[in-house]
Amino acid sequence: MNNHLDSLFNPENIAVVGASNNPLKAGYVIIQNLINIGYPKKIFPINIKEEYVSGIKSYESLCDIEDKVEMVVLIMPAGAIFDVMKDIENRMERRNDIKIIVCAAADFAETKNPEGIERQNYLMEISKRYGIRVVGPNCIGVIDNVNRVDTTFVETLLPKESRGKKGGISFISQSGAVAASLLMIGASQPAPISFNKFISIGNMADIDFIDLLEYFGNDVDTKVIGLYLEGYPDGRKLINTMANITVKKPIVVLKVGRSEKGASAASSHTGSLAGSDTVYDSAFKQYGVTRVDTIQELMDTLQAFDSLKLPDDGNVFILSQAGGPGIYCTDSVSDYDNLEMPVIGDSTKEKLKEIVPAMSSICKPEGYADITAAADVRHHVESLRIVMDDSNVSSVILITVVPTFLPQKELAEGLIELLDHEGYKDKKTVFINIMSGNYVWECRKSIEDRGIYTFTTPDLAVKALSNMVRYTNYLKRKRGK
Amino acid sequence: MKKFLNELEAGNMLSSYGIPMAKSIACKTIDEALKEASKLKFPLVMKILSPDIQHKTDAGCVILNVKNIEELEKSFIIIINNAKEYDNNAKIDGILMQEMAPKGLEVIIGMKRDPQFGPVVMVGMGGIYVEVFKDVSLRLIPVKSYDVEEMIKETKLYKIIQGARGIKYDMECLVNVILRLSKMVEKQSEIQEIDINPFFLYGEGKGGKGVDALIKI
Repeated sequence: MNNHLDSLFNPENIAVVGASNNPLKAGYVIIQNLINIGYPKKIFPINIKEEYVSGIKSYESLCDIEDKVEMVVLIMPAGAIFDVMKDIENRMERRNDIKIIVCAAADFAETKNPEGIERQNYLMEISKRYGIRVVGPNCIGVIDNVNRVDTTFVETLLPKESRGKKGGISFISQSGAVAASLLMIGASQPAPISFNKFISIGNMADIDFIDLLEYFGNDVDTKVIGLYLEGYPDGRKLINTMANITVKKPIVVLKVGRSEKGASAASSHTGSLAGSDTVYDSAFKQYGVTRVDTIQELMDTLQAFDSLKLPDDGNVFILSQAGGPGIYCTDSVSDYDNLEMPVIGDSTKEKLKEIVPAMSSICKPEGYADITAAADVRHHVESLRIVMDDSNVSSVILITVVPTFLPQKELAEGLIELLDHEGYKDKKTVFINIMSGNYVWECRKSIEDRGIYTFTTPDLAVKALSNMVRYTNYLKRKRGK
Repeated sequence: MKKFLNELEAGNMLSSYGIPMAKSIACKTIDEALKEASKLKFPLVMKILSPDIQHKTDAGCVILNVKNIEELEKSFIIIINNAKEYDNNAKIDGILMQEMAPKGLEVIIGMKRDPQFGPVVMVGMGGIYVEVFKDVSLRLIPVKSYDVEEMIKETKLYKIIQGARGIKYDMECLVNVILRLSKMVEKQSEIQEIDINPFFLYGEGKGGKGVDALIKI
């Protein structure tokens, strides 16, 4: 079977079977999303009743479309699959142009009933005959922010100007609902998360993790790959594929099913202790795959890998403007074996003392400074610069709980000046925690708009940092050989 | 049908791959036991040799610190009786007499075949409470020495090996045993599961010794 994955992410013209003018239907949202992302090629709604869908000329059948159609999205009721596939068969005999079917429609083999299985078998039989690759069934579709494709039926309220903004994160989800949630959560951050490519693979009747991992592994636009994984029949093949990629770019996995009961009837200790999830976990560790436990950790870690410099090692300096959050962060750091609060040089300590407010506490404990609520914008920016200039520091966690007398706009500008314009973000890794909530939203947004991710609370920053350091150490070992 | 090697066969197989195991001799009768005992150094451990009894301690089929011929004779009878009481249908291959290895740090070293990932190797704190503490870590076979070091570091075992209680244990020996086990599994594709529990790990440079092993084929 030929690959066609280029056409999956950059299809020449898209037909949507089941396109609708009813705003409550998925077939409506798909057309809207394609329009809103600014899909630059042609959209062909297929609807037997309507003449136009969302103002675009509609067709009765796939066979009626004159232009080339490389991608067909199916969102009609599953029962119509036999008729639709006959149209596809006709079209392939005459035109032979379809390369990808995205079957968003549900009620196929996932229901485990004979009718559903038969529908999926028929879909696959015809597709295989003509070399068409299939995504799904039972998925939410695919997004490519480089080529401006969005076949999902998820509404995220993402402002139009943010659509089609590409980042370095490409994501594969085995669950449509988790995929949809990630898109919604991602759209609701100070600066919306910018995926590069995003795909929900549903029943994996054809295109699965292996195809997509390999594709994203070779994709120059993809900087980090994220996965939501429930399970894969051939774990060895999956991990071998991942192992080839993690030497080039990080993979972050949210793998569920941890609570699965071990084989209690096992006859040996090893048999009972080495349950399937434990083996997944070990395999990930062995081959440099970053496993996360929560959606929050997933989002933080993906964005940290995408937007922050990979730390050289686990030496992290905590620069806090407030005592409590600083101690809170110190506790988090001490939870991770791969992190260390470094002793900075005496001259660095002297420089810090010279510029920070008098009440400040410098390096008690080592690797920690509290510049107090008296710190103004210049204190923040200059102490960050001084700490980042120290050779024992690889990353800095900056914490500030903004009082009314600290001007946020200037704070953001000062940090952007240092990190972006002066290029400090490329020298070391900085984890910015501007606290908290809606009050600091705009301040965080202006920093994130410069491609510097910010964190909601220090513990989340520490988690992402620890994940990054583990990956750094994996690369060092792989490259050291 | 899956079956188990008896402990002697299991021990011999592991030894043949360079994994140090306590010296053992099997015997079927009391007379044979008395004769063969001269080849071993007292005190001995005596255990039932049966492919049907995996948890021998629970079955009352392990007697430690057998100091002389008289005790050996008594222990032989007790073990056979306990085995029959535990499972009257158990196939009994005889009694294993094993030199009592000096006690060391109790480690479990194991292997199993995962249906999705194939063979994996396991290490952790050994002893009878392994399932309670669950202080183990795994890696896919084949492993390299770095993988083995990492997996040991993931368990609490590592801090103890590094001298948490004043004595440093022989890390190098443990790493080598796991590497050899990985090699053995690569060559012997019929092996389904292995438990070496406990493996006694001794002080730095002093090696270690497996005293109980289970191999499922």
